[in-house]
Amino acid sequence: MRSYRSAVALLATLTPLFASPLASDEGPSESDFLSRTRRLTFEGRRAGEGYFSPDGRQMVFQSEREAGNPFYQIYRLDLTTGDTERISPGHGKTTCPFIQPGTGAVEFASTHHDSRSLELQQQELDFRASGEERRYAWDYDPEMDIYVTEAGDARRLTDARGYDAEGSYSPDGQWIVFSSMRDAYNRELTAEEAAKLETDPSYFGEIYIMRADGSGQTRLTDVPGYDGGPFFFPDGSRIIWRRFDEEGLTANVFSMNPDGSDVRQLTDFGSMSWAPYVHPSGEYVFFASNKLGFGNFEIFIVDTAGTKEPVQVTYTDGFDGLPVPTPDGKQLAWTSTRHGRDGGQIYLGQWNHEAAMVALAAAPARNSE
Amino acid sequence: MTDRYRLTFSSASVLLLLGALPSPVPASTESLREDVSFLASEALEGRLTGTEGEAQAHVYLVSRLEKVGVRSLPGLEGLSHSFDFTAGTNDGGSVLTLKAEGVSEQWTGTDKFQALSLSDSGTVSGEVVFAGYGLVLPESATFGYDSYATLDVDGKIVLALRYFPEDVEQETRAELSRYSGLRYRAMQARERGAKALVLVTGPNSPNAGETIAMSFDSAIAGSGLIAGSISGEVADRLFDFVADKSLAEAQTALDGGNPHITGFEMPGIELTLDVKVEREHRVGHNIVGVLPRTGDGDIDKPYVMLGAHYDHLGRGGGGNSLARKDEVGGIHYGADDNASGVAAVLDIVERLASRERQRDLLVALWSGEELGVLGSNAFIDSATVTTDQVAAYVNFDMVGRSRDNKLALRAMGSSTIWPRLVEQANVPVGLDLTVGEDPYLPTDTLALNQAEVPSLDFFTGSHEDYHRPTDTADLINYEDLDRIAQLGSAVTSKLLNLDSAPDFVKVQPKTNTGGDRDSVRAFTGTIPDYTTEVEGLLLSGVIEGGPADDAGIQGGDIIVEFAGQTITNIYDYTYALDAVKVDMPVTVVLLRDGERTEVTVTPRARE
Repeated sequence: MRSYRSAVALLATLTPLFASPLASDEGPSESDFLSRTRRLTFEGRRAGEGYFSPDGRQMVFQSEREAGNPFYQIYRLDLTTGDTERISPGHGKTTCPFIQPGTGAVEFASTHHDSRSLELQQQELDFRASGEERRYAWDYDPEMDIYVTEAGDARRLTDARGYDAEGSYSPDGQWIVFSSMRDAYNRELTAEEAAKLETDPSYFGEIYIMRADGSGQTRLTDVPGYDGGPFFFPDGSRIIWRRFDEEGLTANVFSMNPDGSDVRQLTDFGSMSWAPYVHPSGEYVFFASNKLGFGNFEIFIVDTAGTKEPVQVTYTDGFDGLPVPTPDGKQLAWTSTRHGRDGGQIYLGQWNHEAAMVALAAAPARNSE
Repeated sequence: MTDRYRLTFSSASVLLLLGALPSPVPASTESLREDVSFLASEALEGRLTGTEGEAQAHVYLVSRLEKVGVRSLPGLEGLSHSFDFTAGTNDGGSVLTLKAEGVSEQWTGTDKFQALSLSDSGTVSGEVVFAGYGLVLPESATFGYDSYATLDVDGKIVLALRYFPEDVEQETRAELSRYSGLRYRAMQARERGAKALVLVTGPNSPNAGETIAMSFDSAIAGSGLIAGSISGEVADRLFDFVADKSLAEAQTALDGGNPHITGFEMPGIELTLDVKVEREHRVGHNIVGVLPRTGDGDIDKPYVMLGAHYDHLGRGGGGNSLARKDEVGGIHYGADDNASGVAAVLDIVERLASRERQRDLLVALWSGEELGVLGSNAFIDSATVTTDQVAAYVNFDMVGRSRDNKLALRAMGSSTIWPRLVEQANVPVGLDLTVGEDPYLPTDTLALNQAEVPSLDFFTGSHEDYHRPTDTADLINYEDLDRIAQLGSAVTSKLLNLDSAPDFVKVQPKTNTGGDRDSVRAFTGTIPDYTTEVEGLLLSGVIEGGPADDAGIQGGDIIVEFAGQTITNIYDYTYALDAVKVDMPVTVVLLRDGERTEVTVTPRARE
């Protein structure tokens, strides 16, 4: 699951306090940028992280929707017919799918090779059947590794101990950027670091890059705190991602060159700003932040250089996050709890790019350091 | 409402086909418009079941279906399936005779003695027992209340007060009111061996002293009991022969709700009820037929049923009209309710006629829906096709008033297949769907759900013109109706070709009620919006001149608290409404533009 830290995931599953349908006549509102908003997924407890194929006709997403497995599996949805097929193995935990430009293959992260995966599924099902309530938490399973679909099967691309996930392809389909916590397992930890690993393994999360065949795995970041959720810019020139502070309390959106150089910070809300994705025009970046309330994530846009104050896009209580535009830039998919039940589902709306450009041009300069 | 709707209409058509997705099939809005316009035309006079208007609609619809290739079901001639029903009840001159202490008195005239519409015709005599409010709560209730606990009414005539104790706490009222319906009470008296039930509206109650109007009761038979209501004057005369009590005193003693205050025998009085109930029997006509499958393999449950009711309220005489004073007696055109649903079904049948079908498509255009879901129930009872042969039912009732691309899909709890099927079908269509689990809906879906057929119900929500002569064809959103039919056709097509039939899930009803319209007395004039899921009760409008309107409540407001009770959904609201007193102001907390606002509403008696 791309960049859901545990704390974030807790909040994301809270029922929104109130989903007001009332549009106020004055002031900004969702209808400034979004129209014809509708819920795309209905099946199962949760769905999220929908990413489009380059032609916009397919979407891959993760969803918990099959009896017997209480964890996410990966599905490919044909947007022209509505047909959905599962493309991950069906057991274990999976997350973070992305379609390879050119081939249509899908990379995703999975634990299905773990001999304990069926046992873990049963444990979770038994726990739920016991009637106890536990909020959903993402556990950064160290078994998580990156796979790619190949002839109806899945080929393993990474095998380092430690969570490897949150992968996405470069526009030419030749590279994958991803997040890994392998640094916690491939060296001697200090006592302090070992304690950190017990309580918050995501502290060791760093951005890596590799070739599409899994070769040449190279680390790009080296700063304490969780670095994750990387995506290439539409022209492949840079990488956008989000970086948490050492305590994992706040996060901000950053960009860098594909070799890790020229790191620039785009946001500084002092809250959790994460899940960035660049609009196909390259002009601005979508991201989600809980700036307006700890449990209330909204989507914002900010200019790609991060010189201006971000502009708010969604105005619905509860969770709105993981924004992903269609490749033509005319629609926006995101994950929301606005239907009023636990568990996010994927929503889709028409995106007004022209209005976004106007709003960004009018935004005041960012009061940065 | 009209202006807002038109605005949505034009912007919707512009925005409709933007984006990366391929455009849907060519619009069939013209044919939808023609069907709705014909069904909602003046000539059909509101399509009341059993009238000439129904007959004209019938001819038109049969011809439309036959053209597409819909054929007779086995055992039926043509596409017509008829059923008998009671179109109305009248008192045919009932007489009440009192014999006491050598006196003999008689009353006639419906202002003094009137049959209840549920009564059988016949004559009975017997001693009289005053049974208080004549209420019995089932064991599942939160407290005990049994008016008959200490009384022997076997072979006797029960005299009881209408409604329920007037001065009890709100929660108690809510519970009592649920079991105070006339049919439920008649059943309780009958089960204890009573020969007859006589009700009086006590002096402490609304409509004090008045006999009970013969409400519309479409049941074909009576309740197996002789029952009538008497005026307060007649009741007072009976109490003249009770040594130490007047009716007013008896009621006042009961009004506190103390379950230990009992009724009493009225020795020395003998009543004779000579009750004449005239039921006007009529015949309603469903239209049913089958579009045969194209495949020839054996398949689990060979039918998928597609339905919409085509009847409406005529000129609104049946008691379900919400016509304003200056509209009373006008034609209730019923364009949204439910010419829109019928047009959608016709459109879907046309779309599916050219597609592969592994099951037979059973098309049902129901009559008698507005009179109490009569046509669909009669068809199920007829076993022309037994419901265990039906894989699923898809219903369209009021689908012509979509706003902002919205559609409610209800009864989703009736099968585990719906979320997947709905998701798949709607991805290319792109409607903004709200989903609801509850299959206990006031439409034909109810009948099919009770027959354990997985059902899905399409609905675009209530509105100001609901059950009024202003529900006209020009207010239908044909562009969205076309897309709703497109979604309906995708759903139905998938059902027709599923290898195994969907499972049926029995949803537990949220209400267990022995009440009926007589028990819900309070009227506020709010119109709930069913298409948007919010916490609280979102209103799409209010009835002009009703209590809510007087209080300044508007469409778009969300009721979150009513008379001290938190409102999270329509069921909470119904209970809260049960519990309030007529003419007693209550505080209502609203959310308007996100702000909490308090208003005072004074509910009125439902007429």
